[in-house]
Amino acid sequence: MTRVMRLLQFTDSQFPVGTFSFSNGLETASFEKIVTDAKSLEAFAKSQSHQGAFSDGVAAIHAYRAYKNGDYDKCKEIDKYLYAFKMNDEARQMATRMGKKMAELGVRLYGNDFIKGWLEEIISGETPGMYPVAQGIMFAIAGVSEKDLFCSHQYGVINMVLGAALRCVKVSHYDTQLILEKLSDDIEGLYDEASQMELSDMNAFYPELDILASLHEKGNMRMFMN
Amino acid sequence: MIKLKSQKSMLNNKKERIPTPEVDFNSAKEMSRYLQEPEAMYVGAPGKHGYLRMGFQLDKTGKSILRDLERRAPLIVQQELYFDEEMPEMPCVYILSSGGPNVDGDRYRQDITVKKDAFAWVSTGAATKLAEMRYNYSGLVQNIVLEENAYLEFMPEPVIPCRNTRFISDTRLEVHETATVFYSEIYMGGRKYYKDGELFQYDILSVCSHGERPDGKQLFREKFVIDPNVVNPRNLGIMGQFDVFANVIVMTPQDKAAEIYEKTPAFIDKKRKLAAGITRLPNNAGLLYKVLGMEPGPVKKMVRSFCSEVRQVVKGKKVPEEFPWR
Repeated sequence: MTRVMRLLQFTDSQFPVGTFSFSNGLETASFEKIVTDAKSLEAFAKSQSHQGAFSDGVAAIHAYRAYKNGDYDKCKEIDKYLYAFKMNDEARQMATRMGKKMAELGVRLYGNDFIKGWLEEIISGETPGMYPVAQGIMFAIAGVSEKDLFCSHQYGVINMVLGAALRCVKVSHYDTQLILEKLSDDIEGLYDEASQMELSDMNAFYPELDILASLHEKGNMRMFMN
Repeated sequence: MIKLKSQKSMLNNKKERIPTPEVDFNSAKEMSRYLQEPEAMYVGAPGKHGYLRMGFQLDKTGKSILRDLERRAPLIVQQELYFDEEMPEMPCVYILSSGGPNVDGDRYRQDITVKKDAFAWVSTGAATKLAEMRYNYSGLVQNIVLEENAYLEFMPEPVIPCRNTRFISDTRLEVHETATVFYSEIYMGGRKYYKDGELFQYDILSVCSHGERPDGKQLFREKFVIDPNVVNPRNLGIMGQFDVFANVIVMTPQDKAAEIYEKTPAFIDKKRKLAAGITRLPNNAGLLYKVLGMEPGPVKKMVRSFCSEVRQVVKGKKVPEEFPWR
């Protein structure tokens, strides 16, 4: 029971890491009339989910395993690797901002030496402090399973887009819940693949999303931070 | 003529000491389905294992020249030419392949070094066609090294993947923090006008480019795996409605990167069916520029005009208009 509570706690949009401030490029996609309705929103959210699975998702899984092995240096290696893999500037900023918040919460909630050291190294600039790595560490500390970690990561990605959609796309709460329901069916398969991947297998091919992210980076739209 | 002679004698002298370059993709999981030995020529057979090594440097008079050249079939580079009208001091090289397209089981390696203060322009003579494959795949390893204050424009013609082709590449960019590399790649969706059209009918494209400093510090790593049998490249967020994709990495000092970034617009033009975006690479490595379009012409034009921005900021000179036959 406690593990399920932890899972819900870390995944909930109320968990103060700032997920609500971001739209993952949806704001621009809506402005450019690329996402206009439930159908295109679903396609957009699906691409975000798959992109996350084989990059952030893989890194989170590796960080989780590294914590379980007590391998602090490995976590740093994963953190640097993921930072170097994150091509879009705003996405990097989002990941480090949320990663630091997550580490701060970890210190408040658990306060073990590992997470304390982690936060200190983020502050001193020793490690970038990417959100998926902090997620991996926190879930391992809380004793939540690796699969649940992946689920939570995926829920976070999809829900961030759907939450933002209610504010910038003409869709209803019913539409977004239906999309979430549908995309949830993919998660098991994504986990099976991501959990077998090495860091060097991480990959992403989403040029249209990249261009949307760039438009947001260069533009004046600022309802969301990305 | 004298230069050719000296290159030749240099090759003869060095031949014994050059180890066979390895092109090893054994760790790439995505290619593990494609490891059968081709029924025709075996993997690594003469003519199927190309090697190219080019070293540019300043000669005693300060002229940038192709000082070091080693090549093995099917890759051919003859000699540098100085045809850039805006920058006539720049050695320009076309990489050619005597084999025509990359075929099943081909392996290539290209090592390019630009020494301190030298500069060069490298392209291919024609589009790189990736032929239909049945047993194995075609692989390319590239090492591009730029020393202090060096400058390289690497702007090959597009890659055209045919039906059932499999291609993997790994490009290592080792760039000094004062140097600038413009590294572009253009990928067509396929032979668009062949028969009824052959878009995204290839088996797999796996492309990895990573940047580092001479001391080994890793700056960025971009890897894309496109497997149309698993995920439809037409999905929103991937290629969407677009058919051609260009990816450009510019590693350059931070102040120059900032200037280029400011000058380069991001846009989605629905009328012209053209889109472009730019972002800053991690660890202040430089910039990443992407273009999507319908035909290679307009995409090549975008890449070329972006290169012109880069050249103007770094060298104070434009890139001339493309030759009409290219």
